[in-house]
Amino acid sequence: MVNRKLQSVAALESYRAKIAESQKNEYPVIYVCGGTPCLAKGSSAVAEAFKKEIESQGLACKIELRHKVTGCQGFCSKGPVVSFGNDIVYLEVKPEHVPEIIEKTVKNGQVIESLGYKDPQTKKRSASFQGIPFYAHQKGMILKGLREIDPFEIDDYIARGGYASLAKAFSIDPDKIIDMITESGLRGRGGGGFPAGTKWRSCRAIDSEVRYVLCNGDEGDPGAFMDRSIMEGNPHAVIEGMIVGAWAVGAHHGYAYIRDEYPLAVKVMKKAVEDATAMGLLGKNILGTGFDFDIKITRGGGAFVCGESSALMRSIEGKVGEPRAKYIRSVEKGLYDLPTVLNNVETWANVPLIINNGPQWYRETGTEGSPGTKVFSLAGKAVNTGLVEVPMGTTIRELVEKVGGGIRSGRMFKAVQTGGPSGGCIPESLADLPIDFDSLSKAGSMMGSGGIIVMDEATCMVDVAKYFISFLAEESCGKCTPCRDGLPRMKQILTDITEGRGKEGDIELLEELCDVLSYGALCGLGSSAPNPVLSTIKYFREEYEAHIRDRRCPAGVCRNLVTFHIDADACTGCTLCAKQCPQACITGERKKAHVIDQSRCIKCGVCRDVCKFDAVRVE
Amino acid sequence: MEKITIKINGKDIEAVKDQSVLEVARENGFAIPALCFHPEIETRAGSCRVCLVEVSQNGRTRLVTSCNYPVRKGLEVRTDTDLVRRIRKGVVELLLSRTPDSPVIQKLARENGIEKSRFFVDEGEHYRNRCIACSLCTQVCEEVVGVSAISMLDRGRDKAPGTPYLKPSQVCIGCGACAYACPTDAISMIDEGEVRKIWGREFKMVTCSVCGKPYIPEAQVDWIVKTTGKDRSFFDKCPDHR
Amino acid sequence: MGIDIRKIDEIIERYDKSEESLLAILQDFQHTFRYVPEEGMKRVSEVLGVPESKIYGVGTFYKALSLKPVGRHTCKVCTGTACHLKGAHTLTDIIGKELGVEPGGTTKDGRFTLQTVNCVGACALAPVVMVDDEDYYEGSSPQDVLKNLRKYK
Repeated sequence: MVNRKLQSVAALESYRAKIAESQKNEYPVIYVCGGTPCLAKGSSAVAEAFKKEIESQGLACKIELRHKVTGCQGFCSKGPVVSFGNDIVYLEVKPEHVPEIIEKTVKNGQVIESLGYKDPQTKKRSASFQGIPFYAHQKGMILKGLREIDPFEIDDYIARGGYASLAKAFSIDPDKIIDMITESGLRGRGGGGFPAGTKWRSCRAIDSEVRYVLCNGDEGDPGAFMDRSIMEGNPHAVIEGMIVGAWAVGAHHGYAYIRDEYPLAVKVMKKAVEDATAMGLLGKNILGTGFDFDIKITRGGGAFVCGESSALMRSIEGKVGEPRAKYIRSVEKGLYDLPTVLNNVETWANVPLIINNGPQWYRETGTEGSPGTKVFSLAGKAVNTGLVEVPMGTTIRELVEKVGGGIRSGRMFKAVQTGGPSGGCIPESLADLPIDFDSLSKAGSMMGSGGIIVMDEATCMVDVAKYFISFLAEESCGKCTPCRDGLPRMKQILTDITEGRGKEGDIELLEELCDVLSYGALCGLGSSAPNPVLSTIKYFREEYEAHIRDRRCPAGVCRNLVTFHIDADACTGCTLCAKQCPQACITGERKKAHVIDQSRCIKCGVCRDVCKFDAVRVE
Repeated sequence: MEKITIKINGKDIEAVKDQSVLEVARENGFAIPALCFHPEIETRAGSCRVCLVEVSQNGRTRLVTSCNYPVRKGLEVRTDTDLVRRIRKGVVELLLSRTPDSPVIQKLARENGIEKSRFFVDEGEHYRNRCIACSLCTQVCEEVVGVSAISMLDRGRDKAPGTPYLKPSQVCIGCGACAYACPTDAISMIDEGEVRKIWGREFKMVTCSVCGKPYIPEAQVDWIVKTTGKDRSFFDKCPDHR
Repeated sequence: MGIDIRKIDEIIERYDKSEESLLAILQDFQHTFRYVPEEGMKRVSEVLGVPESKIYGVGTFYKALSLKPVGRHTCKVCTGTACHLKGAHTLTDIIGKELGVEPGGTTKDGRFTLQTVNCVGACALAPVVMVDDEDYYEGSSPQDVLKNLRKYK
């Protein structure tokens, strides 16, 4: 292999200039989204079609074309997404659209409006980022890279200014770097929002030969896929952030701990570490500065609790991922009991931005207490779902209604769940709350890593609480009594309520157990576990009471408490529900009203979900 | 050893920096109940959560497990506040619903004013007899004995100590330290004649040449001879007749 | 079941001889043998010098590891929040009925293991089914998922 090692900062800069020059001639570039949902929706077939079309036409039209597969382009619900590096973006692209796209857009710069976004209200089409509300209301500081960079090509990253912050950092005193991070107000994106600068400084202050820098990529919150997308789409940004962090705190070894459920993220990050090492950006004597730093990739083992810092460290050591008391913090005694800085994927990806542009620039976005942007995975019952990035302080309503396009099927917006199992549900009445670390905590939820699940009137809040408690009971490591023995009991009480066996006093008993967990559990998983229960009791107590007193599920979700039937007036006899019914208990002739056989109905709700005419009623 | 002064329930107490709150408190006559604490075990897992106390330091007040909370200058400890009592009671009630047949837990429950648990009781595949999964047995085996014959298996509700592959352990020396350390007498160790049964394995015992009492497993003698170089003949007699 | 000890050693060879490699080695066992065999854990214990009790503890703790062989294909139904709200539970029932197994179970012919898993981070496809950690299927119409599953032999 040719030695590609860059021996100095100057060598990096001349290399960058060289690639940028060579890439100039390669335009136009077609960006085909390679994020998981787009892949599942057939984006590789689309990319393949582009490749073929380009090859067959290549000589004839004399434009050198290159298609790229990028990381997530965000608009997952409308994938596969294809964009062109300018303002044009096409949604739900199929291989058969490719010849037309090549002909019109690539060769002649024409916009094909019919492949753009169709506004559900105005029915107007738009194929421009600025014209599509989902994109227009975002601010892409972190996600910009995902949309333009081929995650498997380090050159792509370098051409767009990659590793410039590292080069700059080497000319700055480590203490000054920490000052910059502190001044920027960067707070950990993993959940708690701890100031990153404070963490780094404490770690640096400990007298020790060895320190570690870790990246938490064990994104386990159900409904969260920001870190996955960042690792899959722009791995070098994370790695660059980690190297800067290592330089600042004086660490020479790092680990990135990545969830086992994210095979692509593991693959991309491994390749990125190999490439960066081959270029002399990782390893011994980085860029000829004499500074050594390496990164190992550790695959998680499928345990949610390993997202907790002390459990994650045990897991890296090859042990059972059990948390331990953190009365002595991990900046002092972390991995192998040595000083350790642990930040999550998104936090690390913010670091190069701050170093490149300065803390003041960074503070221009976001709020006083929570500067910068936050990447969210918007999921659930919104019209538009996907990966989004907005300035901190954006309100919940803006996020749901503008970016998310409101609620699907014209239903009512009821609540959002933030922060995963450690967070809570915030009702629509508080939707004007700005999204930042402090406001969400005050409302009884938390920022968490950034999963936002939109809930509509057909969401039962008791069922949601039961869902999260079941999840946590399953994921409890079993070390401490409150979590291990308390969660199964909370789950049982919630199950009883949702199945029509609730009793007076159950709500109070739940609240008591919540206190035992909040105050008594060993780690954050246990002590924050009550949030989904307490927040739903706080804001939706009447729903609990309806289940307990009237044996009724107002949202029509809890199977034991509802019946499904088809409204004969609304039913068009399209037969879709009959086809999808797993019990095959829906009958009726085509174009005539259908009927559900109540004796065999398992109340799964598939008929209601597939009905395009809202003819399935729940009582 | 840096001497410092802390406050426990309003009283000034002298202590050594980084000692545990529990030890300092007990040495000074303050009672704090605890199950998974053992003075010989360095790993203070803090898993049973019975020894919770309220501490204030640097303007922050919270509940912590006293067995592994290090005392530092200016620490204020309260062992018997309403919050401590209430949360401890909740923890004990959970333990009672887990191990209703444990006399130790029953007694602790009574002391905390619990007659009967309001929650469902573990049974069927979840019945763990008297085990509260505190992991003290596995720590003794690893840290004190040094053989690591058992470990905590599974997770969540299913967490329990056990041998590899749930088969008789090849490295167990039958010393019974795990059973002696267990706070709830949950580990079955049966000595019958010259045989000790523990963790599904039988161990032949060495008999005292004076009193004729079987007193130590042969495997344990082998282990001690191997690790300390002690003379095997030392074990001909039991401690009472040496 | 006969496990090739050479394969075991080959896997162990890939890693540093330290406890830190344990989880990765066990995961490679899982991928290669479709479970973590006892012979493998014994061998790792010898080579890494880690007590078997600890290795077995790790083997039982992590969900990605299975101590019993799983099917040729794994069908994972995501039960993340978005999937839950959109009927992952029902989808699991329907797939289970088709395959004749409960979640966690393996079909008699060893073709499929059905699992429910935590969020796979593909919420836009909710409810989502992942086969062999590679193929993702949108599960809003369960009958289509079943059709896709029949492709796996």
